[in-house]
Amino acid sequence: MYSIAQSIDTDVLVMGGGIAGLMAAIASADRGAKVIVAEKANTRRSGSGATGNDHFRCWIPEKHGPDYRVIMNEVLNFSQFGLCHDTVLTRRFLEKSFDIVKMWDAWGIPMRPTGDWEFTGHAFPGRIRSALKYDGAQQKPILTREARKRGAGILNHHAVIELLAEDGEIAGALTLDTSRDEPAFTLIRAKCVVVATGCTTRLYVNKATPGWMFNTAFCPGNAGGGIAQSFRAGAKLVNLELATRHAGPRYFERAGKSTWIGVYKYPDGRTLGPFVSKPTKELGDITSDIWNASFTEVVKNGSGPAYLDCSETSPEDLAYMRWGMKGEGLTALLDYMDREGIDPARHAVEFMQYEPFLIGKGLDVDINGQCSLPGLYAAGDVVGNFRADIGGAAVYGWISGDHAGTSAAGRTLRGSLERHPAVERTLALCADIMKRGERGYAWDEANMAVQQLMSDYAPAGPFEKRSESLLDAGLHYMRALRGKSRAGLGAVCSHTLLRALESLDLMDVGEALMVAARERRESRGPHLRADYTFTNPMLGELFLDVFLREGEIQTEWRKRNMV
Amino acid sequence: MPPVIDREKCTGCGTCAEICPVQVFRHHKDNDKIPEVKFRRECWHCNACVLDCPAGAVSLSVPLPCMLLHVDASTLKPREPRHV
Repeated sequence: MYSIAQSIDTDVLVMGGGIAGLMAAIASADRGAKVIVAEKANTRRSGSGATGNDHFRCWIPEKHGPDYRVIMNEVLNFSQFGLCHDTVLTRRFLEKSFDIVKMWDAWGIPMRPTGDWEFTGHAFPGRIRSALKYDGAQQKPILTREARKRGAGILNHHAVIELLAEDGEIAGALTLDTSRDEPAFTLIRAKCVVVATGCTTRLYVNKATPGWMFNTAFCPGNAGGGIAQSFRAGAKLVNLELATRHAGPRYFERAGKSTWIGVYKYPDGRTLGPFVSKPTKELGDITSDIWNASFTEVVKNGSGPAYLDCSETSPEDLAYMRWGMKGEGLTALLDYMDREGIDPARHAVEFMQYEPFLIGKGLDVDINGQCSLPGLYAAGDVVGNFRADIGGAAVYGWISGDHAGTSAAGRTLRGSLERHPAVERTLALCADIMKRGERGYAWDEANMAVQQLMSDYAPAGPFEKRSESLLDAGLHYMRALRGKSRAGLGAVCSHTLLRALESLDLMDVGEALMVAARERRESRGPHLRADYTFTNPMLGELFLDVFLREGEIQTEWRKRNMV
Repeated sequence: MPPVIDREKCTGCGTCAEICPVQVFRHHKDNDKIPEVKFRRECWHCNACVLDCPAGAVSLSVPLPCMLLHVDASTLKPREPRHV
């Protein structure tokens, strides 16, 4: 049995030091709160923004005019992430977005690298453009510096492995220190916790490389921990069943398709989408944002594959694209292309749809980023009722941290958590897993088994469908897998122990997703039901929550919060 | 396979192991001043280790299954129908 090596008290604990987490830490610290960031890796290079990003969605009145609704319309109806918004959050996000852009600019993240606020890419011809082009290559080191400057404590290589609630409120978290091979555990008591664990990858079989599960567009270290643990602690999840799919180059999975400047084409040279025929940096080709199913469809119907052709892009725009790729964090891809002699001026790169993942599907939050569990907040890609990617993480990270930092003053720390049932249960589980060592199931067996079940029993469209009986079967198998895994997983060091715990978290996320998918008796977006093929307009104004009550998974439809 | 450390150039500072977002490296300074590329199947190919190594000692090898599929752009044009 393990014991607690270290206990820490804090006002605000931030789970995950990505963009949202560091912004939450900065805002909380600015409110005078004592802040700890518990980060699985190292905040200087962790999460999906590790080595960069290049588009920040925002409303800049001097460029877009005085009415936020113009940009709100673009976000909700003309972007790849408009499906699941409580629009009161979208408005709050937009109203705060320029302040945050100016903050980043002042801290040295180049938000106007060409001298002025410039909006290029992710754009339709003839429409207003809302994706600010910036250079995020050093965003993580800079945000880390700003958080430290304000006194936030950063615990790198401390993964939160269990969130702790007491009397229906958040009380703290148990973390696993993976800096040494021998596992060590830190208990953190906190008045408020901000969950900022990013998207959920590794839930479905990797579409590009089924045998290479860390080849993902978004950070593969993001394994649903924040969602699973908040769910177990009693928080409500929302829109989980609407898991989405990203697209990008085949087979090197990367985000950043709108950093490329070209035109998508069929093999016979016809353009794939109706939006552009000549490549320009101002527009890019929005086809991949709003019709990324096309990459699958053209393969299924025999007219594909689809390519991104940059050969007609001007030399100036090609240089801009290369610069943009560095800012987006695509230097590994650039180095690879250089080594392999792949030249966008001459070669067309095939594009594909990647496996489903959770982004903007997860924790249900209110306008201040608060979850249904008092004291618990969530921000960034882990949130289920608002999504605006980098801009969303930065702005709502700040909003939730600001609120948590203020409200912590009115909250008290709970008594000792050492004997908390979830602490004792988790430490015992870890001890069992370590005791089995190499004799137990390896973590990747468990992770692959989750992926198989999700891809076969709760797939996401196009073409692949769900049904009541398939989901019933999938739930039965997922529960059996969790039972076998809990009783049989083995690990030999803190790192493989963490991966084993992640695999168990993914099972909880998968189970909740399947229950929600079973309850949504209609087809909507990527959620295609073979037994309910229509879209029910009555559900358009509702969101589906899924949560635990007395050990049972419950679902509940709620009204969307619209402006 | 994923990151490769040039033992000649590596100064043993451990930056790569410290900042890797998915903890591919292990650095047991007492046994070997060079970090070990231990969990290579877990590499995300994000390039953080390459970018941040102060000695320029790390390079990245992209696995064969992740090859980037591409064709000569000039081949994207109508084809003559082929008859049986």
